[in-house]
Amino acid sequence: MPRSSPPDPAHNNAGRSVASVVVSVEGLHKCYGSRPAVAGLDFRVSEGEIFGLIGPDGAGKTTTFHILAGVIEPSGGQVRVLGSPPREARERVGYLTQQFSQYPDLSVEENLRYVAGLRLVSPALWRERRTPLLRRLGLEPFADRLASQLSGGMKQKLALCCALIDRPRLLLLDEPTTGVDPVSRRDFWDVLATLAEEGVTIVIATPDLVEAERCHRIALVQQGRIESLGSPAALKQGLGLSRLELRGAASAAAEPLLSGGAIVDVQTFGDRLDLLVNDAATGEAQVRELFRRQGLPLQELLITAPTLENVVVISQRRRSGELPLLPFPGVQGSRRRRADPAIAARGLSRRFGAFEAVRQLTLEIRYGEIFGLLGANGAGKTTTIKMLCGLLAPSSGEIVLAGESKLLRGPDLLRRIGYMSQKFTLYDDLSIRENLEFYAGVYGIPGPLRQPRIDWVIASCGLQGQEQLLTAKLPGGWKQRVAFGAAVLHDPEVLFLDEPTSGVDPLARRQFWSLINAFARRGTAILVTTHYLEEAEQCNRLCFMVAGEKVIEGSPGAIKAAQPGQVLELVLPQDQLQSATLLLRRHWQPWRVSRFGDRLHLVLDDPEREVEGLQLLLSQAQLSLEGLRRVPHSLEDAFIGTVQRAQAREGEGR
Amino acid sequence: MRILWHGWRVLVASRLWALLRKEVQQILRDRQLIKLLIIPPTLQLLIYGFALNPEVHNLKLGVVDYAQVAASRELVSALTANRIFLASSYPSSEQELARQVERGELTAGLVIPPNFSKRLASGDTARVQVFIDGVDANSAGIASGYIQQILRRFRPEAGVLPPTPPVRTQVRFLYNPGLTSSWFFVPGVIGLVLTLIATLVSAVTLVREKDSGTLEQLLMTPAGAWEILLAKILPLVVLLMGDVLLALALGRLVFGVPIRGDPFLLLALSGLYLFVGIGVGIMLATVCRSQQQVMLTAFFITLPMVQTSGAIAPIESMPAFFQALSLLNPLRHYIAILRGLLLKGVGLEALWPHALALLVMAPLLMAISVSRFRSQLS
Repeated sequence: MPRSSPPDPAHNNAGRSVASVVVSVEGLHKCYGSRPAVAGLDFRVSEGEIFGLIGPDGAGKTTTFHILAGVIEPSGGQVRVLGSPPREARERVGYLTQQFSQYPDLSVEENLRYVAGLRLVSPALWRERRTPLLRRLGLEPFADRLASQLSGGMKQKLALCCALIDRPRLLLLDEPTTGVDPVSRRDFWDVLATLAEEGVTIVIATPDLVEAERCHRIALVQQGRIESLGSPAALKQGLGLSRLELRGAASAAAEPLLSGGAIVDVQTFGDRLDLLVNDAATGEAQVRELFRRQGLPLQELLITAPTLENVVVISQRRRSGELPLLPFPGVQGSRRRRADPAIAARGLSRRFGAFEAVRQLTLEIRYGEIFGLLGANGAGKTTTIKMLCGLLAPSSGEIVLAGESKLLRGPDLLRRIGYMSQKFTLYDDLSIRENLEFYAGVYGIPGPLRQPRIDWVIASCGLQGQEQLLTAKLPGGWKQRVAFGAAVLHDPEVLFLDEPTSGVDPLARRQFWSLINAFARRGTAILVTTHYLEEAEQCNRLCFMVAGEKVIEGSPGAIKAAQPGQVLELVLPQDQLQSATLLLRRHWQPWRVSRFGDRLHLVLDDPEREVEGLQLLLSQAQLSLEGLRRVPHSLEDAFIGTVQRAQAREGEGR
Repeated sequence: MRILWHGWRVLVASRLWALLRKEVQQILRDRQLIKLLIIPPTLQLLIYGFALNPEVHNLKLGVVDYAQVAASRELVSALTANRIFLASSYPSSEQELARQVERGELTAGLVIPPNFSKRLASGDTARVQVFIDGVDANSAGIASGYIQQILRRFRPEAGVLPPTPPVRTQVRFLYNPGLTSSWFFVPGVIGLVLTLIATLVSAVTLVREKDSGTLEQLLMTPAGAWEILLAKILPLVVLLMGDVLLALALGRLVFGVPIRGDPFLLLALSGLYLFVGIGVGIMLATVCRSQQQVMLTAFFITLPMVQTSGAIAPIESMPAFFQALSLLNPLRHYIAILRGLLLKGVGLEALWPHALALLVMAPLLMAISVSRFRSQLS
């Protein structure tokens, strides 16, 4: 399939400056009252470019989108969209807001037709575009399904579908993949990549830095200003640091010792330690020396390039400092480790009418353990959590929760349990402090402990001085932090967290996990769901669910080790990645091929034999393979592979 | 004193206190709610109080006077003297008059024949013809009654003395000597307004919590269903007592309705009724999923409640089955209490059956709501 190669904006200045400028922003300012939300943004986006706006919660990203979409007027500065002021360009711009904006009571097709009507798409064009568009986003079989019954990923695809019906020249996407599972997210990005090749310009915000690697260029936004701007590769290089990956049985114990010298940053990912060092050689020497002195085993030390997450975290930390990790007041030492399971479920099932949401699930979670429940949207995670904590009666099966098996709704049990649901659980019309006081009161936290614990939450969230602010006024990611605080105020023995970090910025997400780890170390059993696989690495054990069933369970390391085949990482020029992906997917099963940031991952059963064929295939298609190496399975490889294999089996079984 | 202080400390540390405090904070933030509690009840009371008035004034009367004598003119002025009728047209013929009634330009028509004064003079019964537009049955009935009454009593100066009626009735109107119909209506409207507002406000505050997802979080706390519901109800009762006072003040100031009974008993029983009204709302909220649903359902429930309560139409005019059914309607009992306390000035000795009915219904509704509340999420 011959296709004109897309403009490569990363190398625009080198000669191919033919691509016209679609968005130009100069000195953009926007104030709400006296508070500046955007304080002087300058950037240009060229035709066919995927441009990422990355930054912490409340950095001014949504405001920028509002201005580009012509919804609000800037307080100052020049904005041109497709050569005209944003309001006049609206007809050629598609905009996806953070909230789901389709009508839940209409079907997929009705929603699409409604938008087509609004945008004055002629009936002839509608007939021409409807089916290919639905097919492209994989929504064709669901055309009659009500929007309210779609999974999170499909809802976002529908929203994109609606934005595309009028063939916009520019797409504005404000965190379109928040709450969407990794498989759907990957599909979503594949569609974006194809659109960009066809010349559609895309401006996108996302808190997920793995997917942000797929942008052509990225602007790091902090406090309404652009901190740095460039291609992901340039930004990572600009950091001037190297990353060391350490593997060893005692890596968690080594974490507090690794500081100073060449070491800039340390982070635990389950059984792996990630270090950022000023210089790879001195860093490696320092680490080896330390492990030797402490007598700790070091199984593996890998020197790699920093990730985009490193770039963002370092730059955010430089700007606003790290959120403090304060000790939780009112507890001495850790809870007595108990041998009995904190949560145990046997043969758990739940039916809604004819639909089986959860099928024969058996789990056991011990005190002090972080257990991750992963799965695509609609796999039954939330239903499982609701059954385990007693909000939903199972159709069959047994549950033992903190030693209680009969009365899951008794006040004595509930006092020992913390729960943070997927929805915002704070009262929007109360202030932050009032919300926390309310939960402190309802959980009956003893008087002298109340104030210190509330202060602890406010300080941990970095909200000192703003505790009288109405919760409704907080950006989404901040609300999540306060909600987490409210859920742990009473120091629960068992903690359920349903997508706690959804929409939370990278630095805050790190702190979230430090807190979760701290609670687990003190003996709290934690059940957590997440769509960010890099943070799922921090769980002690994981369970993947597909269509209501447990597919695989084990430590992140064990799950990765159990994956079939060998992962090959392919490095290609940025502008060839998409065509290479499509080509490989025609030759191998689709689950074997995935985009991973700016690389391609291909899972082969017998690399020795197949590698030659691969190289031949790529060179015949005039694609230049710049690098090829074996890498261990990442959790994302494992997840996507497992889910897609299970779905394929499911499809065959029917 | 010490015990009181201790009790206070226990209360402040309790879950119920935390829940109550949160509800009060939310209510105080909600300007919309405060407006909703003041403006609609005031308007409803005024509108219903004036518009539901069954008295008839200024009905348009057309007159065809073929007689054209003093006696016929006297008859017309007898009909229009008390402003019930207004002689608005004098068509030239019977046919013209009939057409005007048909077109709805006139409510009633009167045809006085040429021989009117002759027959009166001869002592015969004079005959006149009356047309009445029967479309508005109520006004038609009243107009017909008035005309008959006036005609029967009509004795022109020249006429003979009236014969002595065989039976003399002397009617004394008790409690409402002026027969001011607003006195009958205002207590009914107060009951109606309190029912509507109590049901709706309580249902909406609970469903809003379900809508936003905070209810799920609340159910995961050790707070019991009764604590959650009681914390929702108590502040609302206090707020709605303000509406009771507002309604009574309006009744007194605008319609001149007296408060003849014990005002404290009135407030106490009104408070009890508010528990019932809120209970109905809370029960609705436990079966509905969204605010929209609960509003529509509330209308289905409250309108029949109002109609079978005797607030507007007398219970005695309903079929026997509905009369019996209306005994289950809390509003019927509350209106009986209101009328008794406001107009008759009686006390519990007369009203206890109604008070007892409310006293049974309030905890019953609460119990149903509490049991439904826990199970509603699955």
